[in-house]
Amino acid sequence: MKTAREMGLIGCQRCTRVSPAGTELCPRCGGRIASRDPMSVQKVVAWWLLGVACYIPGNLYPMLETKTLVGRQSSTIIGGAVDLARHGAWGVAIIILLASAVIPMAKFVIIMGLVIGVRRGPQTSDRLRQRLYEMVEYIGRWSMIDVFVVAVLSALVQLQTLVNISPGRASIFFALSVIFTMISAQNFDSRLIWDTGHTPNPDLPPDPATGKESSA
Amino acid sequence: MTQDTQAPPLPPVKPANSSPFRRLSLVWIVPAIALLAVIGVAIKTYIDRGPLIEISFTNASGIAAGATELRYRDVTVGMVERIGFSDGLDQVLVSVRLHKDVAEFVDSEAEFWVVRPQVTAQGVSGLDTVLSGVFIEGLWDSEPGGLQSRFEGLADAPLRRMDRSGLLLTLRAAGKATLTEGAPIIYQGITVGQIGKTAITEDGSTSEAEVIIYGPHDRLIDSATRFWDTSGFSFTLGPGGAALDFSSLASLISGGATFATMVSGGTPLEQGAVMTLYPDEAAARAAVFSGEEGEALAINAVFEQNIAGLAVDAPVEMAGLNIGRVTALNGLVDQETFGDSRVRLVATLAIRPARLGLEGDKTDDAALAFLAARVREGLRARLATTSILTGGLKVELIEVPDAPAAAIVTTEDGTPRIPTTASEISDVSATAEGVFTRINNLPVEEIMGQAIDLLANINALITSEGVRRAPDTLNSLLDDARGVIASDDIKALPGQLRGVIDRMATLIEGFNSQELASRLGKALDDTAEAASGVNSAVEGVPDLIARIDAVAANIQDVAIDKVADQVGDLLATVDSYLNQDSTRDLPASLNTSLTELSAVLTQLREAGVVETAKKTLNSASNAADAVANASTDLPALLDQARRVLAQAGTTIEGYRAGTGVSRDARDTLREVQRAAQAVSSLARAIERNPNSLLTGK
Repeated sequence: MKTAREMGLIGCQRCTRVSPAGTELCPRCGGRIASRDPMSVQKVVAWWLLGVACYIPGNLYPMLETKTLVGRQSSTIIGGAVDLARHGAWGVAIIILLASAVIPMAKFVIIMGLVIGVRRGPQTSDRLRQRLYEMVEYIGRWSMIDVFVVAVLSALVQLQTLVNISPGRASIFFALSVIFTMISAQNFDSRLIWDTGHTPNPDLPPDPATGKESSA
Repeated sequence: MTQDTQAPPLPPVKPANSSPFRRLSLVWIVPAIALLAVIGVAIKTYIDRGPLIEISFTNASGIAAGATELRYRDVTVGMVERIGFSDGLDQVLVSVRLHKDVAEFVDSEAEFWVVRPQVTAQGVSGLDTVLSGVFIEGLWDSEPGGLQSRFEGLADAPLRRMDRSGLLLTLRAAGKATLTEGAPIIYQGITVGQIGKTAITEDGSTSEAEVIIYGPHDRLIDSATRFWDTSGFSFTLGPGGAALDFSSLASLISGGATFATMVSGGTPLEQGAVMTLYPDEAAARAAVFSGEEGEALAINAVFEQNIAGLAVDAPVEMAGLNIGRVTALNGLVDQETFGDSRVRLVATLAIRPARLGLEGDKTDDAALAFLAARVREGLRARLATTSILTGGLKVELIEVPDAPAAAIVTTEDGTPRIPTTASEISDVSATAEGVFTRINNLPVEEIMGQAIDLLANINALITSEGVRRAPDTLNSLLDDARGVIASDDIKALPGQLRGVIDRMATLIEGFNSQELASRLGKALDDTAEAASGVNSAVEGVPDLIARIDAVAANIQDVAIDKVADQVGDLLATVDSYLNQDSTRDLPASLNTSLTELSAVLTQLREAGVVETAKKTLNSASNAADAVANASTDLPALLDQARRVLAQAGTTIEGYRAGTGVSRDARDTLREVQRAAQAVSSLARAIERNPNSLLTGK
């Protein structure tokens, strides 16, 4: 497999036009093009750190504050799911747990895993890493489902003294965490996957033995 | 496009800058800003963190760490952080994190209490805390006075709060007035204040309570204002009809008080002034004019008699004026002072110096000096009746003339003791008892015994043979009489009688014309005199009657049966007499005698009989005078009569006792019979010649 870089080409990441090496502006869309983004890993790590940092208060603070006539109830994300499970709503509880706990955590792990794979050499195949990266990219937006639920509930349930639902502090942090994680994932230059691992080092002269088709 | 089989040169990748700044991505600014923000917030929070104060409560009911707020004017200014115990576990220490901006104002005068839902007769308060949980309310003034860290929490909300400032007073209950905690103070139907926590006064004699009059109503209060109790209702029945009076439903249930400024000229009151709560409006009004102010002089009076009826609050009067009341009643055994161990009644009197009408100083010392001086002049305390019906008593201070010397002495406990005198109690029950005693002492049984004896004697008389026979005899007698009456002669009598009466009438007219009436009047006066003489003489009569009674009893014992027989015989004789022809002729002869009488009357008129009659009346008058004179001798006469009767009694006794005496008696009776016959013949002579009566021949 040959990368574009190995063939002395730069692919535009916006309009996918392939330009010869040395071109700085894409002749079609005018965008700035580069064969690799040298700051990619730094950006990913920076946003990843912010995402993780926001995820902690997002789980410690209450997500929803429910004021009813007889009292005020506030629950964290995990606490709310546990409550639902206790009341027998297993399905909803599992969905919430998946969307709010499992998936974000999986994203953090995968992104960090990809970064480690770029820096320290891959532990798995390039194909799997590419698949994981695509999954993180795709699934990231769905992590906001919790925040959407909170937003809808607090917009609809405003019955003054009777019942009043308002977003808790955690909703902001959780939303921020999701956003930062998505930025982090987007900043990951997936072409780096191919520079490491089982493909030859781009800085080295191409290895004629590995006469595979280029994919990038 | 020709394509080189040779791999093209790799596109140059810009090497990372050798400068450490160039090698770093700009994106690191974002986490750096976030970090800075977090640090900034942390520092700010730490700096803005208010001080921690500790408030002690007896219990922490409803207080939760991290949830219970501290509020000031209903704004949250703190949060409970921790709940712990004081050293001895005897109090709960609630640690509250204050907001920094109010910390300076929470000085030593700050007060804290827990607001809990309360349902009372006055209403419901703190209802929001039912749902939201309790909160701690703080109260402090707007002068920063330096932070204190330890506070005593109040058990109840203080009367004066942010929304209810006003005049704080202390109300002291007088008499039967009651102070109810939390009860409203109503003025013209509007709640203008509230009664706070009630307590017993230090001396234990009454109760008092803190009271707030909310602004701006506190301008209604001055030193001339009087408070009275409006709790419950009053029912009065008087000449104006029945009246049921209560001020409001709330005060009916839970009590309340109201006030009025009775006179003008009062001075504004200081915060915390002490006022008196009177039992009712009348008492409050009375107090304005009687000068309830000032201390009462406590003085003891020891009464010898223990008489029920004196009660606490009974009036103490002097010269008809109420000068105080009885405050306590006790028994006293003091062998040293009184020489015996009888229980005596000790009444403690509270005398109002202001009511004694003293000049100048109206203190209790002045009153005591005044009373001491009066006691030397004979002033004494005594019990007197206030109501005959209920037997209620009062204490009266009166001047006793010629009282034995006494003075007010001060007893061991420091209370002066006023000397007493005998009570004046009109005891209805005692009088009634006396009446019953007299009735009890009447010899009812003896009288009944005599009555029974009498009835038995009457019974014996009635059931005797002679009496039984009498009706038959009487019957036949009546038949005969009917026969006589039915005769023609009798029927002719009325006409003749009428003629006689006519003549009598003319004769009497003659008498009238000759001023007989005045003489008659004089004669009557004389007779009246004689009668009064008789009256005075009658005093000896009861005794006489008793003797007669005895004689009668004897007679009853002895002769009734025989007498009855004789009466029976006599009636038989009369019967036979009436059956004789001569008797039947009697009407005819009566007729002729009436004719004669008529003739005689005619003669009388002709022969100046009137003159003679006048003389006769004169002599009658004289006779009456003589009788009057004689009546003075009547007692002696009565004595003689009594003696005679006694003799008669003994005679009869003798008659019963022996036959020898009875013979004499029989002779005596025979003589009596003879005398009677003489009288009879005299009567017959008069009948034959009635003129002799008038002419005196």
